[in-house]
Amino acid sequence: MKWVKLGKIFDPTKHELPNDCHEFAQSPQALVFDDFVRIYFSTRKRDPVNQKFLSHIAFVDMDNHFRNIINISTGTVIELGGLGCFDEHGIFPMNVVRVKEKIYGYTCGWNRRVSVSVDTSIGLAVSEDNGLTFRKIGDGPILTSSLHEPFLVGDPFVSVINDAFHMWYIYGTKWMTRPGAEAPPDRVYKIAHAVSYDNRTWIRDGRQLIGDKLHPDECQALPAVVHHNGRYHMYFCYREAFDFRKNSKRGYRIGYAYSDDLSNWVRDDDHAGIDVSEEGWDSEMQCYPHVFRCGDKIYLLYNGNQFGRFGFGLAVLEESGNP
Amino acid sequence: MHNWKKLGRVFNPQEIRNVEWMREFAQAPSVLIFDRFIRVYFSCRPLPEKNGQYVSYSGFVELNRSNLFEIIRVSEKPILKLGDVGTFDEFGTYPVSVIRRGDEVIGYYGGWTRCESVPFNVAIGVAVSHDNGETFSKLGSGPILSYCVDEPFVISGPKIRWFNDRWHLFYIAGRKWILADGKPEPVYKIRMASSSDGFNWERHGKDIIDSKVEENEAQASPDVFFDNGKYHMFFSYRYSSNYRGKEKGYRIGYAYSHDLNHWVRDDTRAGIDVSEEGWDSEMISYPHVFELDGDIYMFYLGNQVGRFGFGAARLEGKLT
Repeated sequence: MKWVKLGKIFDPTKHELPNDCHEFAQSPQALVFDDFVRIYFSTRKRDPVNQKFLSHIAFVDMDNHFRNIINISTGTVIELGGLGCFDEHGIFPMNVVRVKEKIYGYTCGWNRRVSVSVDTSIGLAVSEDNGLTFRKIGDGPILTSSLHEPFLVGDPFVSVINDAFHMWYIYGTKWMTRPGAEAPPDRVYKIAHAVSYDNRTWIRDGRQLIGDKLHPDECQALPAVVHHNGRYHMYFCYREAFDFRKNSKRGYRIGYAYSDDLSNWVRDDDHAGIDVSEEGWDSEMQCYPHVFRCGDKIYLLYNGNQFGRFGFGLAVLEESGNP
Repeated sequence: MHNWKKLGRVFNPQEIRNVEWMREFAQAPSVLIFDRFIRVYFSCRPLPEKNGQYVSYSGFVELNRSNLFEIIRVSEKPILKLGDVGTFDEFGTYPVSVIRRGDEVIGYYGGWTRCESVPFNVAIGVAVSHDNGETFSKLGSGPILSYCVDEPFVISGPKIRWFNDRWHLFYIAGRKWILADGKPEPVYKIRMASSSDGFNWERHGKDIIDSKVEENEAQASPDVFFDNGKYHMFFSYRYSSNYRGKEKGYRIGYAYSHDLNHWVRDDTRAGIDVSEEGWDSEMISYPHVFELDGDIYMFYLGNQVGRFGFGAARLEGKLT
């Protein structure tokens, strides 16, 4: 796989965003229409109570060559949860999937904890207006903590394959404090997979799906899967558990794995076909990859430095040199 | 109407000295019967932390089978460890409901974590004992029954039962957090789930007991006992706010069912209420009904939700 970078295509600081949000356009995810592409992302406002961040979903519509911005959401795409709910303090990200006539939004909802900063769970919402707004199917999550996935269930990516709903997602394995540091605990999470035949009951594989490259405390996030040339290709991001925010060497990179049967995955980062740039917006970090088809091309949306504080960019898959 | 004859307080944790993790409270009694004694599991607390918040542990007390007011032994240490940082049961294991299963004893328990916008959240964990219920080890670091689409938080109060060759779990599910004088208070309702193995649960997905005192009535501790062809549920309920005193505090309600699916609430038949004075004069809650040597007993909590222990009542007549 080889990707040709098309550069940063959206900078949230150059536009007015709904919900009093400024900065951040994280985890871009595409919904393709006939003549445009709607790209959802998570942006942030400050919680007036304590100045902590609240993530909201917004979108930008672009022409299907990704050159011009047609429209930016002006209202609330999906409400945050009520008091005590799993998504009270943010939705980040939302994976939008068209299944026949329906448009589903699989959310990662955030709620703050005391001994650790946060927990997350996965929710489901439905849109009846072509993705302008989403209504949750209930106050609670569709996938959350379980016996062997004890916390931080999030980052859903859903694809319907042979009438089965496949969800790739992440789950936390531990919270740990850096030896000798005064800092609050950091988290470790891994990629997993579940399947559903009715979009309600999910059967988990119950195992870590993608092997570690760094070490057992590697953090793996935001899997996205595309089928291409008879094989399933997964892009995700991974990083060190500590000191990953400002130290470029320990920050997010894009990882890659492939599978022929949706069960056995081979991690093969050397063939990810994309890496940080020498300089510029994605020179220190690359994260939250989203692969999708548009027309006859496969694209990769992703965030760069500072977790997407200043927007997201795009790359296109270069077809191999077959005649 | 059932006729419960109160026998008095059985156990007061405040009379136990020098046990840091058992300074006060003896909540949610759950009985396991042995040849010569009965063991009563309960949940208790050390003194509160500087911020006023508690953690809760679970332990047990053993009572002489032929004289329930004779304490034979108090557990030396908690039966369960609190969870690691960030897990669902980091700050409490309360309540616990135990049942024998072959040579094992299985315990289902509420695990407590602390949240920022609301004080806590709860999910149900499971643990197994291979030493007759002296100690339990958790089957995983996460919960066995957690939040779901229509049960968004506070999944607690498990009571495990074996009826008709199936496992049944009666529990409560949070419906909403309301603000009472600016303070979040949870509203929860009684629900149930069934299972063929005790680990994969099918939730019935509905509130099984009607609300009585108000829409936001909180219902807790659904304790089910089968006798005379019917399932008898004793539970507790309270108002949604200002419930820490006598007027709106916990009382014991009653419902029955012939098939475990349809429940008829009829509190007039509960047959037990607060006393005129004494340890259970302001509220009664957390009933647990069991049979022992031909008699049917109820253990229950008194004032301040068991801060001063639990007591016993014996049924005069039958469960009808």
